[in-house]
Amino acid sequence: MNLAWLDAFLVYGLFFVVMIVGLALLLHLQLGLARIANFGAVGFWGLGMYAFGVLFIQVDWPFSEVWAFLISMAFGTLVAGVAGLAIGWVIADLDTDGVMVATLGFATCVWIVATTEQDLTGGALGLGGLGFPYDIGSVKANETLWLVILIAVVALILFYVSRVHKAPYGRMLISIGDNEHLARSLGKQSFRRKMWLFAGSSAAMGLLGAIFGVMERFLDTGNLGISITLAAIVALVVGGTTRVWGAVVGAAATIAVFEILIQSYIPFPQAWYGQAIPVLRQMAFGAALILVLMFRPHGILGQMRRDKLMRRTHGG
Amino acid sequence: MVDEASNTVPVDKSLDDGASSRPTIRVQNAAKSFSGRTVVDVEDLTLGTHSIEGLIGPNGAGKTTLLRMIMHAIPLDQGTVVLSSDGSGFETVLSDLSTSRMAQHGVVKTNQVITDFEQLTILDSMLLSIAQRSDESASAIYREQGLYADRADEIQWYLEQFDFEDAFGFANSAGEKKLLDIIRCLLLNPRVLLLDEPTAGLPDSIRDQLMGLIREKAAQDDMSVVVVEHDLHVIWSMCDYVHFMAEGRVVLHGEPSYIRDHETVVEQYLGSGHV
Repeated sequence: MNLAWLDAFLVYGLFFVVMIVGLALLLHLQLGLARIANFGAVGFWGLGMYAFGVLFIQVDWPFSEVWAFLISMAFGTLVAGVAGLAIGWVIADLDTDGVMVATLGFATCVWIVATTEQDLTGGALGLGGLGFPYDIGSVKANETLWLVILIAVVALILFYVSRVHKAPYGRMLISIGDNEHLARSLGKQSFRRKMWLFAGSSAAMGLLGAIFGVMERFLDTGNLGISITLAAIVALVVGGTTRVWGAVVGAAATIAVFEILIQSYIPFPQAWYGQAIPVLRQMAFGAALILVLMFRPHGILGQMRRDKLMRRTHGG
Repeated sequence: MVDEASNTVPVDKSLDDGASSRPTIRVQNAAKSFSGRTVVDVEDLTLGTHSIEGLIGPNGAGKTTLLRMIMHAIPLDQGTVVLSSDGSGFETVLSDLSTSRMAQHGVVKTNQVITDFEQLTILDSMLLSIAQRSDESASAIYREQGLYADRADEIQWYLEQFDFEDAFGFANSAGEKKLLDIIRCLLLNPRVLLLDEPTAGLPDSIRDQLMGLIREKAAQDDMSVVVVEHDLHVIWSMCDYVHFMAEGRVVLHGEPSYIRDHETVVEQYLGSGHV
């Protein structure tokens, strides 16, 4: 297969876009269905990345690298899940403002710990030594395969999310998000359900973080700022918070346009790439968000359509 | 008990455990004040000894507050609420339970104010009601058809009886929402059903049909029903027993005819010109 068109920049751009789609899909479960306003996605994502990376690099593994890699990845996922369970327990009974502050606070804690625990994490200088668990030739081939693996993981998440919409589980989550008191009076254990949903989706965010760390080959506290959270939220809101494909459409309309199309085809002066482009990107995302909220408050895809779904599922 | 040809509601047989005695709720020394004003002060009240009981009284007597206290939607200042579920003497202290656990124990209340899920369709609402915890497990992503099939007869029966405009659509009118609220509760197969002004906002024909259904279910399933209602025709025609509340206390109990003609009730509530 001729992959000449797929340059390193495009592989990385696509990787970033697909990862944001994955995060936005998980946020969709939390925010779109159960109405948990998680503003700390980067915290769980970053915790997964760091837990994976630190364990993999700092431990003197007695067995093969592939096993060490897989165990570390499972560990990263688990740590993010346990953190999700703890934070979920804290926020399940809070109102939206409380949830936003608590999750944002958690993400800040992760960033501070990663920066200050220099012996473990390398602090602000970062920690190198991550790599792919395979070697199929060139750097480009390895990165492309890793992109394919990420796409498979995110496709699985997308499939799960679309099934959740069609399952009693999704209906229960929607009922809790829609009218929690009424859902409780019908026997739905909203506290426990929200807590476990949060734990599960946080674990998956951690896995995405670990996968991202491998692509970067480097643990960098610079990734733990607000921009990943913002990218995922903007993608989801622009696409449609309550829709299955909202994350995909939104990421395509925002992150993909900026990361791939604009940066590839608009001849920005070379000097801009250091400082100006990231700022321009934030401005463009902000503008997209404002425009969508003004003209299409439910996102490009609009509101959830349970009536259509029910007709399709049970309509004969 | 399934009888598709008649107006009898199909019953989920899996939940029919054959118990025959009626569940009761006993409220003891329960008090609630808001800003120093005592709204409810009930010494000892047992609800559910008759299949359908009415709870009446003037505005502000504390009827709705009492129901909400039983449901633990309002925390009690003091006192206990205990459910005796059958003749076995097994008791559950409801005032220790969360709202969701209460529904799992079969104690369910309809809402006085119209309450609905904005994002869920009529069919969604009904399926939400019948879904058990195992149906709603995060891994049960292929459970939908099975869930529907489990109680399809019952769901179809409700949809046909009450002639919803579009089961796949949303409940639009206030009447539909109110009706759906009650149907959601009935689908939970409650042991104790508290109805808080169930007929407000319902067209007369639907009201009569619904009350007939509740009477039937109360007789058939050993369900205890407590009705708070301002439409006294509903109370006199439906209830076997009536509690009269005034100023937070239950001051009288008795058969409808006794309450109806009692001097205190006439004085405080009905007025001398009542029929």
